[in-house]
Amino acid sequence: MNKRARSAWLFLLPALVFYAIFLVFPVLSSLYLSFHEWNMLTSPFEAPYVGWSNYRYIFKEDAVFLKALRNTFVYAMTTVPISVVLSIFLAVLVYRQKRSGFWRLLFFLPTITTPVAIGMVWMYLYRPNYGLINTILNFLGIRSLDWLNNPKTALLSIIITAIWASIGSNMLILYAGLKDIPTSYYEAAAVDGASGWVRFSRITLPLLKPAILFVIVTGMIASWQVFDFIVAMTAPTLGRAGGPINSTMTMVLYMYQTAFEYMYMGRACAMAYVLLIIIMGLSVVLLRLFKKGGVVSY
Amino acid sequence: MSAKTHTGVGRTGMRKQHVSVEFDSTGPVEIIILILLGATMLLPFLWLVLSALKTRAELVAVPPIWIPKTPQWQNFVAVFREVPLLKFYRNSFITAGGITLSVVITSAMAGFALAKYDFRGRDVVFNGILATMMLPAFIFVIPVYYMMRRVPFAGGNNWMGLGGHGLLHSHLAMILPFAASGWGIFLMRQFMMGIPDSLLDAARIDGASEARLFFGIILPLTKPALATVAIFTFITHWNNLFWPLIVSTSAPELTTLTVGLKMLSMSFDPNRNAHLILAGLTVGILPVVALFASLQGYYVKGMVMSGIKE
Repeated sequence: MNKRARSAWLFLLPALVFYAIFLVFPVLSSLYLSFHEWNMLTSPFEAPYVGWSNYRYIFKEDAVFLKALRNTFVYAMTTVPISVVLSIFLAVLVYRQKRSGFWRLLFFLPTITTPVAIGMVWMYLYRPNYGLINTILNFLGIRSLDWLNNPKTALLSIIITAIWASIGSNMLILYAGLKDIPTSYYEAAAVDGASGWVRFSRITLPLLKPAILFVIVTGMIASWQVFDFIVAMTAPTLGRAGGPINSTMTMVLYMYQTAFEYMYMGRACAMAYVLLIIIMGLSVVLLRLFKKGGVVSY
Repeated sequence: MSAKTHTGVGRTGMRKQHVSVEFDSTGPVEIIILILLGATMLLPFLWLVLSALKTRAELVAVPPIWIPKTPQWQNFVAVFREVPLLKFYRNSFITAGGITLSVVITSAMAGFALAKYDFRGRDVVFNGILATMMLPAFIFVIPVYYMMRRVPFAGGNNWMGLGGHGLLHSHLAMILPFAASGWGIFLMRQFMMGIPDSLLDAARIDGASEARLFFGIILPLTKPALATVAIFTFITHWNNLFWPLIVSTSAPELTTLTVGLKMLSMSFDPNRNAHLILAGLTVGILPVVALFASLQGYYVKGMVMSGIKE
């Protein structure tokens, strides 16, 4: 090894040591644990090997896990698309304002606010009797809803809050994407007499594709792991996170309970690997889908 | 934004020029939509602050009372008497600050190696680091928690890591699992690629050591990127709940602000004393939100730069 290469590895050393201890080793350990039965009290090396039975259990016998899988699917597949569409719309609106800085700061606020605090404030906004949301609905002539207390609307309530909280950061990324589009394209289109919609669909959307892909993929990775909002919005008044009757139980929340409340480490690791495969698969599919349409570079 | 160093990050000069665009002039409809959406963003915050100053009766009144008759400042006194918020603030500061310091150091060093050296295995390392960013956090949680408990010679453990509680009662348990960040390394690498090699080669001819290049040339030139990584990392970990919740369940003295806010509903009845919980939330987020909002530029740059692939 020459001197330069040696220096390079020395600069990499702290990061590599970290990755070995805190990433590679835990990822492999989790895989090992997912085929064993372990409660964290004994030595992991003495944990009995159980083959695929953890995986079989969560898919065949664990109704709560299946419910959590379904809920997380519904949550991610509604939150992300709605939030992205709204934030594209919003980014274009803000881009066209003279004082865009003011608007960007306003929509930035939920992005930096602790999600737990956002969740707890919204829990009170959703209160059936004095909550602000029902007050506004009543004002508009709509009947009050039970929101978080009703298993039929509880997940919907959390989805609405999550959309509210994610629009701002998505918009800021898309706004930066808009600013990178050369204005000469719009000038040329204007000379050709292209209408507003044509300019949006033929110039803005295709050139914004990398930014859109980015907010969708990162949004999906985060949404499939939703935890903070659920805990903050359901635990205080319902006594237990994920209620009522598991209508807001999500995968990471159930993994947390399985591992740290019921002490089934093997099952929790099996669930984590199921989530890993879902997230990886989804990311690959999204990247392919966008590549097929061709990412326009400029 | 400082354009001088930023043109280096693979951007063409053309895109940087900003001519005001002649769109269709902004109509009143657009303004109204923006104001409505903006109000939706602001309303929960406004409601929170006003509610924190209400009596219990005012909070639950139907029809609602917006402005409390006399602001109930004693709500805050009650919160501070019941809940050690200052301790939570301090713990959050140590946790987020420790992570930030270590992420900045590891990112700058690794980013430098990946951007400015040609060596066998570089691309494997870089792609490996990028790939880990997709992994769900829970994959690490159980082994890392157990490892923290079994660190030899720490917290009463013997050489085999048995007998005590390891690092679980130390701030290191909060900090170490996040001591490096794939995102931070990626961002520093992208930024350093924009620094011309000729600058380094000239210094090498003058006899400068590799360490000298890093500290004397690279670090001063990458200050804006370092600030971006630092601020983004600090805010992210200030707001993190999942890992701090797991650690502070067994080590309450390490409780961070996020976990503390979550536990407000244990100190106060969430139905009967909602006004006190809301007062606690107000004290817990307003100072930080104000601080973070003033750092918007850095934070947004951090978000946006992570979006630039290739």
